[in-house]
Amino acid sequence: MVPYEYYVVLSALLMVLGLVGVIIRKNIIAMLISTELMLNAVNIAFVAFDFKLQEVAGQVFVFFILTIAAAEAAVGLGLIMAIYRMKKDVSVEKLTELKF
Amino acid sequence: MSIIQQLVSGIGVPNFYVLIPEIIILITAFVVFFIELFGKNKRSLITWTTVAGLSLSLIFTFVIVLGILNLITNPQILAHAKESGFYSFIISNFFEQYMTLFGLYSVDIFSLVFKVFILVGTLFVIFHLRSYAESKKTYYGEYYYLILFAVLGMMIMVSSPNLITFYIGLELMSIAVYILIGMYRKNYLSKEAAFKYLIIGGTGTAIISYAIALIYGFSGKFAFGDILKTLFYSDQTNVGLIGGLILLILGLALKASAVPMHFWTPDAYEGAPTPITAFMAAPVKIATYAVILKIMVEAFPFVSEQWSLAWAILAALSMVVGNAVALVQKNVKRMLAYSSIAHTGYIVAALAAPTTVGFAALIFYSLIYVFMAVGALMFLSLFERFEGWTNHIDDFKGLARKNPWMAFVMGAFMFSMLGIPPTVGFMGKLFVFLALIGSDIWWLAVLLVIMSIVSAGYYLKVVSNMYFYDPAKPISFNISLPEKLSMGILAIIVIILGIYPTWFFKVSTNLSSILISTIGG
Repeated sequence: MVPYEYYVVLSALLMVLGLVGVIIRKNIIAMLISTELMLNAVNIAFVAFDFKLQEVAGQVFVFFILTIAAAEAAVGLGLIMAIYRMKKDVSVEKLTELKF
Repeated sequence: MSIIQQLVSGIGVPNFYVLIPEIIILITAFVVFFIELFGKNKRSLITWTTVAGLSLSLIFTFVIVLGILNLITNPQILAHAKESGFYSFIISNFFEQYMTLFGLYSVDIFSLVFKVFILVGTLFVIFHLRSYAESKKTYYGEYYYLILFAVLGMMIMVSSPNLITFYIGLELMSIAVYILIGMYRKNYLSKEAAFKYLIIGGTGTAIISYAIALIYGFSGKFAFGDILKTLFYSDQTNVGLIGGLILLILGLALKASAVPMHFWTPDAYEGAPTPITAFMAAPVKIATYAVILKIMVEAFPFVSEQWSLAWAILAALSMVVGNAVALVQKNVKRMLAYSSIAHTGYIVAALAAPTTVGFAALIFYSLIYVFMAVGALMFLSLFERFEGWTNHIDDFKGLARKNPWMAFVMGAFMFSMLGIPPTVGFMGKLFVFLALIGSDIWWLAVLLVIMSIVSAGYYLKVVSNMYFYDPAKPISFNISLPEKLSMGILAIIVIILGIYPTWFFKVSTNLSSILISTIGG
């Protein structure tokens, strides 16, 4: 039996990986994927904590997070389509026009 | 007994009576959706349906307030109230709270007052939305039902007694706002702003949900009251809960655009259509402040020393960075975005003093902030319709000669944001200042005063450009009477509340004592 702490550590690692991805990736699609990765890391954490607490409330919460992640991905992909149609590019460096 | 009856007697029927404002908003949103889909010549119909839905919801919110105060259901009590002094009577009934949807939704005076201000702010936005969108050729019917869904999200958020309800409300609001920002037709800046907000807001969502996971994992509960009890009864410091609290503060600070996480604010505010900027700056912001206060006070009162220090640091950074960067802005819309970061600083500074006075100051400031923010941004949205107006600071030159009424109105909003005495902004800052001094947090109080003086540099520039210069561009402004009137109402509210804030402050004080009374309840 794998102790639940291992899953929590895994989820924390995935969370950090997603955060680093949002900060350093220059491709807007990769940035969107990184935010989705973070939300899925949270799902693992919830399931691990349910395993520890012997409850199901956390797993119910996972369904809410899945729904919200899907809605966010839909909006994000729609925006990427709109941006690509206008600029024919997905690189952050060439896309940024709003500046300090 | 049939199965349905058994079910009902087993789990009970939720109290739908206190949910009527939310149900009305939801139904209106779907009605507007279908009108937009199938209707013909539908623009005024959509506007009026939205206005009707919001007003009806506002009326029912008031009815529930009266119901909580027990004035409708029992006429004898009303007669008794008239005899024994109205005010003292209202106080005795103030602490009633309705729990519904099996403890997942709480309706009390605190949430109802915030709902009233959210609805009023949204009504002002809806009023100006159509003329702006049509003049910019960016009219969509989608604006209306997305705004309604965002309002529904905010209403759910402010009456959440539970991390699940809070999370659902927050996301319903955020996702609707992401779409609203990107709805400027054929405008690249709007898409870019929406995408930036989506990525950074999505990161904030992930951080908040990880915080909820940690809090759940180490307390086993979602409800604020249960988290509080876990913290109270645990012997040693619960590291997981503290970690969850830190992440929660970071995520909420991101949503409220406090400084280390403020990067999205100027871009999102500048790229969005101006009425949507007003919507983001006023109703969305005050819902976030309300929920920050609610979570901190109801779930974590026993670690208030720790979180008050965290919010004090965030507030100090927001004031300094927001004001310093606003000084060099030439675009007034972007300047107002930075000024809203500074205002986040002033408002959450009240959390540095975790006392009744501090919470009352936070509630007071966030409620009056609606009028200032909606007013100033609505002014821009009215003037952006005219050819040649670019929101640049030089466009304001000589406005007082061309349009004295609108110049006076804008002057009132600028003085109020700056905090000059006859306006209500002064009172807000004064109460925060007094709360900070009352808790001996002198460094933050002094910083607040210094930063208010610094902010004169950019607010007064707008006023002096309007009054002391000759018109630079030959733009003619014809603003219709209802628009002038609505702006005038906002300006008059700002001034009257500044002269007579007593009643408003009593309400805020009572709301903060309601919040404290729910601890452990």
